[in-house]
Amino acid sequence: MTALRRLAGLPIVAVVLVSGVLGVQVANGGGSFEPLQPADPCVERTVTSRADGIDGLTERLVLLGIDGAACQLGVSREALTLELAQPGTRTDAEIEALHQGLLAAVQRMKDDGTLPPASDLVDDALDDADLNGLLEAAIRALPDSVVNAALKTDDILTRAIDDLDLRALLANLGDQDDLNQQIEAAVTQAVKDSLAARLRDLL
Amino acid sequence: MRRAVAPLLAVTVALVLADSAVVTLALPDILRHLDATVTQVAWVLIAFNLVLGLTVVPAAVVFGRTQPRIISAAGIAAFAGASAWCAVAQSIEVLIAARCLQALGGALALIGCLELLVAVYGERRGVATWVTAGVVGTAVGPFAGGLLTEAFSWQAIFVVQVPFAVLAVPAALAVAAEPEIAPDRHRPAIRPNLTLALLSAALTAALFLLVLLLVEGWRQSPGIAALTVSVVPLAALAARPLARYLQPPPEVEVAAGCFLIAGGLAGLALLPSADLIWTVAPQALVGLGLGLTVDRLTAQAMEMRLPRVRHAGWTISARHLGVVVGLAILTPVFTADLQDAQVPAQEAIASLVLDAQLLPEDKIAIAQALGDELSQQQGQVPDLTHAFETAALEPEERPAAARLERDLDAQLERAATRAFRDSFLIGAGLALLALLTVVWPRRRTTP
Repeated sequence: MTALRRLAGLPIVAVVLVSGVLGVQVANGGGSFEPLQPADPCVERTVTSRADGIDGLTERLVLLGIDGAACQLGVSREALTLELAQPGTRTDAEIEALHQGLLAAVQRMKDDGTLPPASDLVDDALDDADLNGLLEAAIRALPDSVVNAALKTDDILTRAIDDLDLRALLANLGDQDDLNQQIEAAVTQAVKDSLAARLRDLL
Repeated sequence: MRRAVAPLLAVTVALVLADSAVVTLALPDILRHLDATVTQVAWVLIAFNLVLGLTVVPAAVVFGRTQPRIISAAGIAAFAGASAWCAVAQSIEVLIAARCLQALGGALALIGCLELLVAVYGERRGVATWVTAGVVGTAVGPFAGGLLTEAFSWQAIFVVQVPFAVLAVPAALAVAAEPEIAPDRHRPAIRPNLTLALLSAALTAALFLLVLLLVEGWRQSPGIAALTVSVVPLAALAARPLARYLQPPPEVEVAAGCFLIAGGLAGLALLPSADLIWTVAPQALVGLGLGLTVDRLTAQAMEMRLPRVRHAGWTISARHLGVVVGLAILTPVFTADLQDAQVPAQEAIASLVLDAQLLPEDKIAIAQALGDELSQQQGQVPDLTHAFETAALEPEERPAAARLERDLDAQLERAATRAFRDSFLIGAGLALLALLTVVWPRRRTTP
């Protein structure tokens, strides 16, 4: 056994072992094993929904709307979502940002052609609306092309968003049925208002 | 009986030193069963190590003036009684008090067993047996504690100690040993004891934090966690053959051991995933380092120093006060880091729920259930299983919900692993400090 081997053998073994272990770990992502980082809400993202009709449209609008609101407020959409999920009063800035975010979402969906035709919304709205049976049958009898020519989805949604009491809506986030009811009521009302306005114009 | 005397005394030494960390894997169970806080539960560990560290040297001073077998038997009996008291404790305060008494008895038992083993085996073999039993106890403690907690309960950890200790009382009384009449000739060996203290603080990070990460962060059962940390004692066994093959000088052996422990802790700080397999190599480095350092340093601190029991007391004191220092440094760091990890974890959960391929009403139902669960589990890494079980979902939505649950658990594992990183790095820093005490040039003494 040489003196050099006695002196340097174990330190060399130690350095090789430690370097090897740390090298393999870092090469496999050691050091970057961290939770998902929130995405920049100001960068456009594609959103999808598994639901059809008003439910699916509402979900996509809300997801894009939260992105827009978070971008305006300078926070991540996750932080804003968690903040809005907490009980308590909302600031005017939050309400305004959410309103603007939803309107911007409508515009973006219109621009990229992902808004459904108004006839899709009318069917859903008629299911929920408390209309005279004769009038409902008459509207249902209208061909989709006529409905789509008379009504624009973006107008309906803009009207629905303007009519939504966002402060009251956010205060009731804990009650899912109430939440659905409020959103559907606003969209239904907006469709009804648009229909009524268009019929008035026609007459 | 005579043949069993020395093994029983060695087992007692191993039991007392295993008790330093034996409850680590049982802490979550103790926390729940005794309705304690995290800080209170930490005192189950701290109290034992603090009392042992502070009383062992005074115990050695008293010991040198009395009959070794009487004091040893009394210490072992107190240790056995306190272990039984720990097992029946119904409140965290009583458990902590029992642990203090256990440490006091343990201090007398450790010192006594050293003298009795020397009386049975002679100086060289007796000290070697005492040192080896201590290293084995330290390394195996968390592993044994985890298995007992998994198989039975946390109380079983203390129950199994009682019969061994009870048998060791007559064993101690059977050894005819005279008090070691030796003048107080040598000062404590500062350098090896300081290295031991720093290494013990670093090893606390390896043993205490790793089991917490496995059980609390990665949701492994105490049994699986115990099997995982068994890598440390197994690797420690490989240290002696390696040292015998390469025959390094003692200082080189200790320095290499410190470096291996630092490297292992850095490896634990840089885990690439929450897969248990990734902990094996870093633990092996820690175990190898442990096997190269602790017994060698203990021997250096006691070598040619009289009175023997007092210097043995200094080594025990250094090790256990090192553990206390390690816990005192690391506990606030990792609890604060766990607290800080909540926001990124919640944001990651929110992100995945928002983008989940589920129907909107199911997303909302899951989000509500998760919110309830997270608010109920404040201060610990949450278990999301209950939230998914209670969410009202249609059967056809269950597969997508199960995928989401897996993704969310993965995010929690990432957050928990990240939260322990700084503490492991601090542990690595403590091991490097220990290395510094070894390689720091000695002051030349003038003839």
